[in-house]
Amino acid sequence: MRQSMSEPVRIGFYICHCGTNIAGVVDVDRVAKYVATLPNVVVSRNYKYMCSDPGQELIQQDIRENQLNRIVVAACSPLLHERTFRNATAKAGINPFCFQMVNIREHDAWVHTDKEEATTKAIALARAAIRRVPHHKPLEVKQVAVQPGVLVVGGGIAGIHAALTLADGGQKVYLVERDLTIGGHMARFDKTFPTLDCAACILTPKMSQVRAHPNITLWSYSEVVKVDGYVGNYRVTVKRKPRYIVEDLCTGCQECVEACVYRQPKFPDEFNVGLGLRKPVFLPFPQAVPAIVSIDPGTCRVFTHPNGCKQPCVTACGDRKAIDFSQKEELVEVTVGAVIVSTGFQIFDAKRVPYYGYGVYPNVYNALEVERLVNASGPTNGELVMRNGKRPKTVGIIHCVGSRDENTNRWCSRVCCLYSLKLAHLIKERTEAEVWNFYIDMRTPGKLMEEFYNRISGEGVHLVRGKVGDVYPDPADPEGQRLVLQAEDTLLGRVLKFPVDMVVLSIGLEPAADAQQVRRTLNMSCGSEGFFLERHPKLAPVSTCNDGIYLAGCCQGPKDIPDTVAQAGAAAAEAYALVTRGYVEQEPNTAYVVEEDCSGCKSCVPLCPYNAISFVEDKKKAAINEALCKGCGTCVASCPSGSIVQNLFEDQEIFSEIEGVLANE
Amino acid sequence: MAIVERNVTCPVDTTLETLLATPEGQQIMSCLQCGTCAGPCPYGEHMDYPPRQVINMLRRGLLDEVIASGSLLRCVACYACMAKCPRGIRLTDVLLPLVKEQTLANLPEMPGELQKSLENMLRYGNPMGESGRKRAAWTATAGVPVPLIAQAGRPVDVLWFVECYASFYPRGQAVSRAAAKLFHALGVDFAILGNDEKCAGECGRLTWESGLFESLAEYNVKVLAKYRFHRIVTGDSHALNAFHRRYPLAEHGWQAEHTVQLLARRLDELKPRLTKRLEAVVAYHDNCCLGRGLDCYDEPRALLTAIPGVKLVEMTHNRMNSLCCGGGGGGMWLDTYYKSKDMERLSERRVKEAVAAGASVLAVACPYELSRFEDAVKTLGHDKQMVVRDVVELLAESLEG
Repeated sequence: MRQSMSEPVRIGFYICHCGTNIAGVVDVDRVAKYVATLPNVVVSRNYKYMCSDPGQELIQQDIRENQLNRIVVAACSPLLHERTFRNATAKAGINPFCFQMVNIREHDAWVHTDKEEATTKAIALARAAIRRVPHHKPLEVKQVAVQPGVLVVGGGIAGIHAALTLADGGQKVYLVERDLTIGGHMARFDKTFPTLDCAACILTPKMSQVRAHPNITLWSYSEVVKVDGYVGNYRVTVKRKPRYIVEDLCTGCQECVEACVYRQPKFPDEFNVGLGLRKPVFLPFPQAVPAIVSIDPGTCRVFTHPNGCKQPCVTACGDRKAIDFSQKEELVEVTVGAVIVSTGFQIFDAKRVPYYGYGVYPNVYNALEVERLVNASGPTNGELVMRNGKRPKTVGIIHCVGSRDENTNRWCSRVCCLYSLKLAHLIKERTEAEVWNFYIDMRTPGKLMEEFYNRISGEGVHLVRGKVGDVYPDPADPEGQRLVLQAEDTLLGRVLKFPVDMVVLSIGLEPAADAQQVRRTLNMSCGSEGFFLERHPKLAPVSTCNDGIYLAGCCQGPKDIPDTVAQAGAAAAEAYALVTRGYVEQEPNTAYVVEEDCSGCKSCVPLCPYNAISFVEDKKKAAINEALCKGCGTCVASCPSGSIVQNLFEDQEIFSEIEGVLANE
Repeated sequence: MAIVERNVTCPVDTTLETLLATPEGQQIMSCLQCGTCAGPCPYGEHMDYPPRQVINMLRRGLLDEVIASGSLLRCVACYACMAKCPRGIRLTDVLLPLVKEQTLANLPEMPGELQKSLENMLRYGNPMGESGRKRAAWTATAGVPVPLIAQAGRPVDVLWFVECYASFYPRGQAVSRAAAKLFHALGVDFAILGNDEKCAGECGRLTWESGLFESLAEYNVKVLAKYRFHRIVTGDSHALNAFHRRYPLAEHGWQAEHTVQLLARRLDELKPRLTKRLEAVVAYHDNCCLGRGLDCYDEPRALLTAIPGVKLVEMTHNRMNSLCCGGGGGGMWLDTYYKSKDMERLSERRVKEAVAAGASVLAVACPYELSRFEDAVKTLGHDKQMVVRDVVELLAESLEG
């Protein structure tokens, strides 16, 4: 690095047109001409695309020819191109931190329409950077080691696929699943669109692989309660909830289930969304992973009855000794380099659309319930019978329940049209019922999806373009079982009444109930609808704004199984790249203590969110661990003696910048 | 499910020509054409152009055909379409009344009953054509003093806007007497405008005879502005609707609420005094303006369940999915017209649901419904098993002494 702080400041200024993104609103020529008149500015140019190779070459050439030692580029967000220009600056031999970026696109051109005002604002922002940049000092990027191992939160198809991909690549994976078994929503589905292959047939082999994989540690019935640290070094605390079964000792033989004092299943079965019954000791479903039973303290007599229970389950378990009623919640800690969040979604509660009668009329079902009803391992062994024991002769499927609606959820849930067509097919296949699908728009994008729509509509399913406005018992039915769907057939322009035996509500997908809690634990962001926010919707779709934390599946937004698996693979690749590289570069915007000014008051120590500040007893001074400091600036602002300085945010730099914005030249 | 941004409406002088220039009008461009509006529309199956098609015809510049069809005469302004619209389009507040106004203006002959009522509102300040000087006559038989605000000579807490049906119509007067009794029992500091009051004009607005509405509203605002009070209370849901959506309440710093809202707020004081048992199975009918219009569903039910002996049952269509009695949007004076078109009386549809729910009392909180439902109960031959009562009447009956 050839520049030193003593040589005179020589600034190069570049303003980017960004096509018409900036130049369409900001008079870039005028800004460049103005900046040329400012002190220390040697070169001031405008150029169509500064981020292009010729644009970068322009900077490098100017540095060489004009002995520039500071560079300012006014263009887009630093999030996109700060690194590009720092690299270009460094290539020409200047320390990359003697570069400053001005955002006149997101902060100016894109948010203003008045060209005159926008140009004035661009000038003010440029002037601020020109005043700031002389105070920049050469800084060095430091490398921090990345710990091996990846945490995957959530064991649906997304988490399963991500975990297997990483584990196959040789990474240690900790897969944390909240439920008793992995598999998520997909494990509950019957067939999958558009191929109509059985969900269990394609999912359970992957579940078994998870169980068998030497690189995967599966913690089911567990939750991530705390995540400390930073990219490459996340310290994770996992709560393992008691299932009253010693995992390593249970063989999954289910003799205890057989022996339970409840001779018949009596309690609503969560896996079958309440449509079937289970005992207090149970295996969630035959292919559950881990294939071990659990005891529900809410229904088991050992917990619910003052006189307890004779515990025939313990007798049946015998020498295996897998049942432990004294089991307590446990906390385990692990350090990983990266985290993949695949916590999934929850289905829309159809009671929120009261006029569809869900929870009021027993013959109104949500789509997930119907998945279980048509599933061979479901509560009716795959025979589609309603709560009244009858097979429906006519079925109405209402699309967009809790989707595309200002009164509930505004977004399209993306999968409902296709799963509704699939259910129409399955219902017809199992019952030969007449099926009526009520849709607003039939949305079937994706490979083979339109062909699927074509196929199902050719099978004799009635497709009615119109959203049902009212559901009520058919006055003509003496038994009060049949329901009338009142809807406008919008292609006919007539309001019609459709009497049906069974109503299926195609409920949308929404953020899981505890998404906000997960978001806080992992320090992520959410969109306005509550799904986790990717760093960039197109170019960083599986990254989050928190480095080293990646997204997969429906926690990021509604998507089907193919997209979920593709995204899980992408998240695994990103995590793999980070962990196998073994280090991360750290932005040198860290804080340091000017020891002679530090009074040793310790007020900064507890404020640091990253535990980077310690108090050195023999010197009676605070000290900041550069490797832990994330450059948040909290300590800088709090220090009563002003003895903490932050690189790239020194007082002189910030004050000069403010003066630059306010100066009226 | 709340109606999105309930109290935002277009400027009063909006016309079909200027509608699309307002934010509420622009929302119409986002219509999905899903038909959710037509499904629950009580007379949707009798319209050549149900709400969805009205929107699309507007967007294609073909509204004249809609106006000529007379479809909007069948709109009873019940908010059923607007409450369910997935795009939050302000059908009942904005679009439909504007189209209805043009429909009426283009009719070769206005239905006689409606014509007469609107003329009466203009001339006498009430749709019945009663003399305005008799408006406060009912107070003589109230059993308790009903002070006139002009005579109070001081600010009062509650300005009770009695409204036409509750002033002139015998069943309405009975409700007024019950309300007065309850106000006294609770020590409410109230007064009425007396003969100075005129129809709030809500149905004038919903038929979009806007000139008529404006003259009535202007008159009432001028009278109200002479006095000082904390809130306007009315038992007429239609009047309350007009206050909330069209009267310049904020400008004058006024609040407005329904009698049942006031009573529900003071239920803790009222409940110990409800000592007389009423052995009754009560179905509460959510009226359109108070329910879908103002999201008030729990208060009347809380009041009813506070009465000893009352068993509350729900009809098939309840709360936001309630069925209209058919009286709104001028429907009160279109019964003959609907009959001539062979259309089912909506009040009868509703009474059948109440009977099916096993109710011995159909409870209401809107003065239109007393007459409409009582007629329907008789026509359907259910008058031995079911009576129609205002919530306020039931409360007063249960009141001690």
